[in-house]
Amino acid sequence: MQGVNNSLERRALLKRTGAATSIAGLAAIAGCLDDPSSGDDEIDELTITLSQFPDTIDPLDHITGDYFDVYDHIYEPLFDFEPGEGIFPRVVEDWEIQEGEGVTELSLRDDVVFHNGDDLTAEDVAWTINRTVDPEMGVVSDIGAYGLGSIEGAEALDDTTVAVGYGAAPGLAEFEFGNYARAMNMEWAIENHDAENGAISGADPEDFNGTGPYQVTDFTSGEEIVLERFDDYWGDEPPFETVIFNADGESSGRVNSLRTDETDLTINILPEDVGTVDDADDIEIRRVTSFRNIFCPMKNTVEPFDSQEFRQAMNYAVDNEAIVNSVLSGYGEARGQPVAPGINGFNDEIEPYEQDVGMAESLVEESGYGGVEIELTVPQGRYLNDAEVGETVADQIDQLENVSCEANLVEFGIVSDANSAGVDPDVIEIPFYLIGWGTITGDTDYGVQGFFTIPDNESRTFDDEELSDAILESQQIEDPDERRAQLEEVNQLAHEKAPFLFLHTQESIYGVREQISWEPREDETIYIWEMDA
Amino acid sequence: MTMGKFLVRRILQGVFVIWGVVTIMFGLRTVSPGDPATMMLGQGATQELIERVREQEGLNEPIYVQYFDYLQGMIVGDLGYSWQSNREVEAMVIERIPATIELAVAATIVAIVIAIPLGVVSATRRNEPADYGATMFSLLGISTPNFWLGLMLILLLSVSLGIFPTGRRPVGFGQAVMTVIQYGSVYDLLVWLQHITLPALTLGTYFTALITRLTRSGMVDELGKPYVTASRAKGLPSVLVRYKHVLRNTMIPIITVLGLQLGTLLGGAVITETVFNWPGLGLRLIDALGARDWPLMQGIIVFIAIAYVTINIVVDSLYNYLNPQVRDE
Repeated sequence: MQGVNNSLERRALLKRTGAATSIAGLAAIAGCLDDPSSGDDEIDELTITLSQFPDTIDPLDHITGDYFDVYDHIYEPLFDFEPGEGIFPRVVEDWEIQEGEGVTELSLRDDVVFHNGDDLTAEDVAWTINRTVDPEMGVVSDIGAYGLGSIEGAEALDDTTVAVGYGAAPGLAEFEFGNYARAMNMEWAIENHDAENGAISGADPEDFNGTGPYQVTDFTSGEEIVLERFDDYWGDEPPFETVIFNADGESSGRVNSLRTDETDLTINILPEDVGTVDDADDIEIRRVTSFRNIFCPMKNTVEPFDSQEFRQAMNYAVDNEAIVNSVLSGYGEARGQPVAPGINGFNDEIEPYEQDVGMAESLVEESGYGGVEIELTVPQGRYLNDAEVGETVADQIDQLENVSCEANLVEFGIVSDANSAGVDPDVIEIPFYLIGWGTITGDTDYGVQGFFTIPDNESRTFDDEELSDAILESQQIEDPDERRAQLEEVNQLAHEKAPFLFLHTQESIYGVREQISWEPREDETIYIWEMDA
Repeated sequence: MTMGKFLVRRILQGVFVIWGVVTIMFGLRTVSPGDPATMMLGQGATQELIERVREQEGLNEPIYVQYFDYLQGMIVGDLGYSWQSNREVEAMVIERIPATIELAVAATIVAIVIAIPLGVVSATRRNEPADYGATMFSLLGISTPNFWLGLMLILLLSVSLGIFPTGRRPVGFGQAVMTVIQYGSVYDLLVWLQHITLPALTLGTYFTALITRLTRSGMVDELGKPYVTASRAKGLPSVLVRYKHVLRNTMIPIITVLGLQLGTLLGGAVITETVFNWPGLGLRLIDALGARDWPLMQGIIVFIAIAYVTINIVVDSLYNYLNPQVRDE
């Protein structure tokens, strides 16, 4: 970082002039000078502190929110996605479904340029989509496996037209490419990073090249990335000249940074830290019920979870409302289906399971598994108070007369592996665990297909033909209303078959400088262009 | 034993220790849950692709073959690639070394600057309030957990008083010095000082307490020795006796301990770096642990082992040079 031109530190330094040189001698001066960036002055520089700094620079090598928060400003989405509303033109000006062909043609703007000056072409977009969905090409991408699950490939028809092919209903494909389609510069990526044979890696600003409203001017791997307005951006000028992303794994640390003006916006604030922000001047909490559900999958190819009665019993054993109110301090909503409100196909007829210990115990007896001992594997630090939630769930199950349950706290990687280990009973080591899933495409399919569909899905967590068929059927329905009705049916089936111990939809809690005008989104994405100050 | 033999023995012991660390790390990686190929590729990988990567990376080979390949790589300095970022582990380790060294040295300086005067005062004013104060400080310093002290310093000096930032390292010492040289501006240096002060105080407190006690006890011992009485009897000023002779003799074990502690600090002050978000090896190790990025974890641990062993050898050799009796023990 060029310190002499570093206005961020300049701001901090002016505020605490000379404090560093002598604790005793100059401490009195610190804070006596006004911070030139405070008050009603316009903010030119925005700092956002994430909970995790992106550990890879390949824009296709991740499917985690923190990555999108950073990289979407560099490698912008091709569409604007509005949760609950659908997709809108952005880099793609128009799109047309080719009836009966499993193809949608995307028409690109003709004035889009990459940060290195190259024009964006249809070939770039087609290549990027192919690199995303083809595990043999470039990098194995979770975006390709899940986000663009139904997309089969893309082809450039001319300089500004891309044909996207898919193996499902156009409506589902639209949700998918509307959320996950990005554009990389094919020539640049291949020449500089051999991107057809591996992941893009590096530690320099030159290792980034998108069409987004911001370009990278400084990058310290694992620590900080500095973005500045891209002068040749095709769209509206974004609100801040400079945007800095850094990270702090501790909620209290992020809150402290906010309180000391070191950051302007931070994410994933824990309920116990909310009061600290509320009590401070010039900063505030902003919250939104997210698209992220928290639940405990139960793999039904092993005992005792092969019994529907037992799985339902687990749901009746737990008091979701109480967990939301006590462990999450109200920052969530009890849920009884795989997806959150606002998701296409959410079934608002379905109520969460209500705690009924008597019912739970009798269902356990019906299942034939009375007296069973089970273990709930719980990640720590991944979701809102996940460890406490998991321990409470295990304790409530343990209070049943005929079931013993213990919580086993582990790092998230173990849970993640368990989730993708499939349903082969000889392989399953962890059949019951707590995990979260954000249905960020806004369509139920994304929240259920990875867990429940059987064909070509070795990572599924549940083995049920009826549920799988219902999902596969929904994928082929072209009429949006019919498809929505079918997805509601899928959610109803999931509620009854209880493949999960359903818990809650968690809230996203942000700490923000009051001066910044911005509303959090349900899909957990932070877009600078939606802000103002 | 000659100095040469002493050195050879110590180096061989060091190599054995490093080999032990490498072997334990390999063993842990082998028994830890999770398939390396799946972790490398992510959850979207097909079984066919996973198999191909297992083949490419030699993961289908017997464990002993994998172990020898791994050792061979270590010997030629090839630590492999990070599973998470696909970057060379060497680069990821090297880029974090300056921050760790800065923090270790700063904490050591804090310890020296505070502890030695405090220890001297405590020893020369035994059973007076100054001595009680220094002893109490030492007790507190040794008993206070790092993470708690760090958080308290942040709350008091950053959040409440706004004197220091809560953490991070926006500029390194090297760059700060270059700014002074190139532009004649101390701006970066001040920023660097601002950011390193609290982590250095946090990390240095324990060592300050330790060195204070060591200085005090060393000086008390020395002050009771006959040469001190003789010097005073000759009429030498007590200040001269105290600082030229007594303190000088006291410094030998202190320097030894400081050297060894520096080795410990280079091991990555994991807690302090985490509390202050200080981008050193400790923080990178925590990140690697969270992501189960084994190649990166191994690289960091091996570096720490090498640094620790090297510093130990240097300190032992110096001590051995200064005090030849050690060679024969």
